[in-house]
Amino acid sequence: MTHTADRKANPEGRPASQLAALDRMLAAEEELVPSSGFAAAIMDRVREEAARPAPIPFPWSRVAPGLVLAAGVIGWGAWQTMRFVGPAMREFAQNSPQIPATMLPQLQQAGWVVLALAVSWGAWALSQRLVRRSGPL
Amino acid sequence: MDVDRVLAGETDAFEGIVRRWQGPLVNMAWRYCRDRSRAEEMAQEAFVRVWRGLAQWRRESSFSTWLFALAANVYRSELKRFPTVVVPLEEIEEPVSASNQLETLADQRRYEVVRRAVLALPLRYREPVVLYYFHEMDVGAAARTMGLPEGTVKARLARGRALLRKRFPHLNETGATGTDAVPRTEREARE
Repeated sequence: MTHTADRKANPEGRPASQLAALDRMLAAEEELVPSSGFAAAIMDRVREEAARPAPIPFPWSRVAPGLVLAAGVIGWGAWQTMRFVGPAMREFAQNSPQIPATMLPQLQQAGWVVLALAVSWGAWALSQRLVRRSGPL
Repeated sequence: MDVDRVLAGETDAFEGIVRRWQGPLVNMAWRYCRDRSRAEEMAQEAFVRVWRGLAQWRRESSFSTWLFALAANVYRSELKRFPTVVVPLEEIEEPVSASNQLETLADQRRYEVVRRAVLALPLRYREPVVLYYFHEMDVGAAARTMGLPEGTVKARLARGRALLRKRFPHLNETGATGTDAVPRTEREARE
């Protein structure tokens, strides 16, 4: 490592004493000389990379028909769903089943039980996921 | 030119580029991390990226501008992945005046303290300071290396230097050696 103080402290042809102290300190930087094997190490890596076979390009020409077909099927499915679900929902709204008033409290309680079960299952699933993510202790 | 030979498939011609630019790239990395072995590792990674991306150099800018910009990107992301362990800026002691007989040694020590303080700056302020002095006090070159407008780099540079001056108020008053008073430079006044 060679110390080349004030080598660059004078970019404007100005005497070093006229540069601010901070400028002078920061500009007077030590100069590192790369170690002797530095270039060789890089060239080893570069030759290694150059010797590797070129990556196989993604086979877009083969995949494209499949992608188009899949998009078509999904689009057709979405269209059919819209076609049938809309009228079915309207029909259901018009002829909704009549629930006797005596059954409503039981249904409400069942709803709460289902909700509690869902929350418990969600908490269990989340804890499992977190344990898996953090790995073995 | 070595670049053309490399692009034509002559791998060994890349050695010419490495030999020509190894000093600047290692020194630039050194200013980012102040750790010799890490600086060489970072510079090596930068050269490998240069090798991979040589065809992307559009020749609109000079090769050195493209090279330094690429290296700065590599160094920045390396430092984000594995930050340098630094002493907080507030904990770095202000350089003291030198005694006559040990002036040179004390100068070196003071300079090193200030450079360590630069390392403690947040990266957004540290990088303009590092590149400004690396490019021999050229804001334009630092801005091109960072891929930012000159105005942004000037503002960050001013903020970085303000943080350093705030930490080392003694450097504002005198030439730090305690022997000569140092006026502000015209460049500094413009900023």
